[in-house]
Amino acid sequence: MVKVDNLVKTYGDFRLDISLEIPEGTVTGIVGKNGAGKSTAIKAILGLIRPDSGHVSINGKDASALTGSEKAAIGAALSDSGFSAYLRVKDILCILRKMYPAFDEALFTNYCHAQKLPMDKQVKDFSTGMRAKLRVLTAISHNAQLLIMDEPTAGLDVGARNDILDLLRQYLVDHENCSILLTSHISSDLEGLCDDIYLIHDGKIILHEDTDTILSSYALLKVSEDVYEKLDKKYILSTKKEAFGYECFTNEKQFYMENYPGIVIENGNVDDLILMMTGGK
Amino acid sequence: MHIILNNTSMVPIYEQLMGQIKSEIINGSLKENDVLPSVRSLSGQLRISALTVKKAYDRLEEEGFVITVHGKGTYVAQADRQLAMEARKKTVEDDFAAAIQKASAIGFTKEDILKIVEIILEDY
Repeated sequence: MVKVDNLVKTYGDFRLDISLEIPEGTVTGIVGKNGAGKSTAIKAILGLIRPDSGHVSINGKDASALTGSEKAAIGAALSDSGFSAYLRVKDILCILRKMYPAFDEALFTNYCHAQKLPMDKQVKDFSTGMRAKLRVLTAISHNAQLLIMDEPTAGLDVGARNDILDLLRQYLVDHENCSILLTSHISSDLEGLCDDIYLIHDGKIILHEDTDTILSSYALLKVSEDVYEKLDKKYILSTKKEAFGYECFTNEKQFYMENYPGIVIENGNVDDLILMMTGGK
Repeated sequence: MHIILNNTSMVPIYEQLMGQIKSEIINGSLKENDVLPSVRSLSGQLRISALTVKKAYDRLEEEGFVITVHGKGTYVAQADRQLAMEARKKTVEDDFAAAIQKASAIGFTKEDILKIVEIILEDY
């Protein structure tokens, strides 16, 4: 559905250089630390910034050549909604109605009601959580085949995060073939929603793996120094020195479980992945 | 269908899912031709990735428990319950065999092993 080929964008000494693919019907997550290039990647895919080289194609068509109606089939939620803070939800409703031919007004109104977004309050008086919900609702209310979300859950409490993730899950159930691309650094968001995860660091993709594989085959080994000496390091991806010895990150949990029955092995998760792959040695 | 997943377990999520669907088929709460929830809806309910659910469904299909009809859904296959039960028995036997192997490796005798089994059984 979306294909990014050797996309390069340079800002001073920051260089983004990525290739990725979002197949139809999948949920893809981009994770990474702040400043790793997640938002730049999203903006480049949406055609909001002009890449230095490489290209992005959406449904086989170059992203920069998309027509208005093709763009209307993409639902995007960026860090800022772009609506004036002095507008009320009912004003935004009028804009959306004009902007998207496929805008589903009943759905939008129902969701606003369910998520307790008041129709006649100005957006500037909304809480962070309410603004985030408004951004997501805007993206999912016009039957888009592709949703692109930059940190849809950033800065929200656990309840509001779940509300947003459940909205996306419901969207996936209602739109069998739609795809979602989202960025986040909250691992539980990604583990429970994404099929596919890209880890981006210093503008480069350093790992691409199925979420399922990360959760079932990646693990954190905690070993003392003498065990570490004897450990077969064939499948160790990165190691970090700790007070008790070493923390080792592996993508072959089974191997170490079978061959070193005594050592402490914890299931890997996306947090470990980010910490160990971008911070370890 | 009642699925309870343990996210901290060492058993991969798709295996937990497979195991619980199999149990429901074997004990008869899921009957032949019952339709399983769609991949997307089950992944939404369980808050796990759709790919994990798909993997579990695919493996169940390989093992003959379900049939996926493209565009229609996944159904419980014409179950050979006898066969399913045999397969289950086999895995339990394998678990016993592995435990006995471990015990022998550190010098347990047949009597030691039987004694342990008796002690454990007393608690049931």
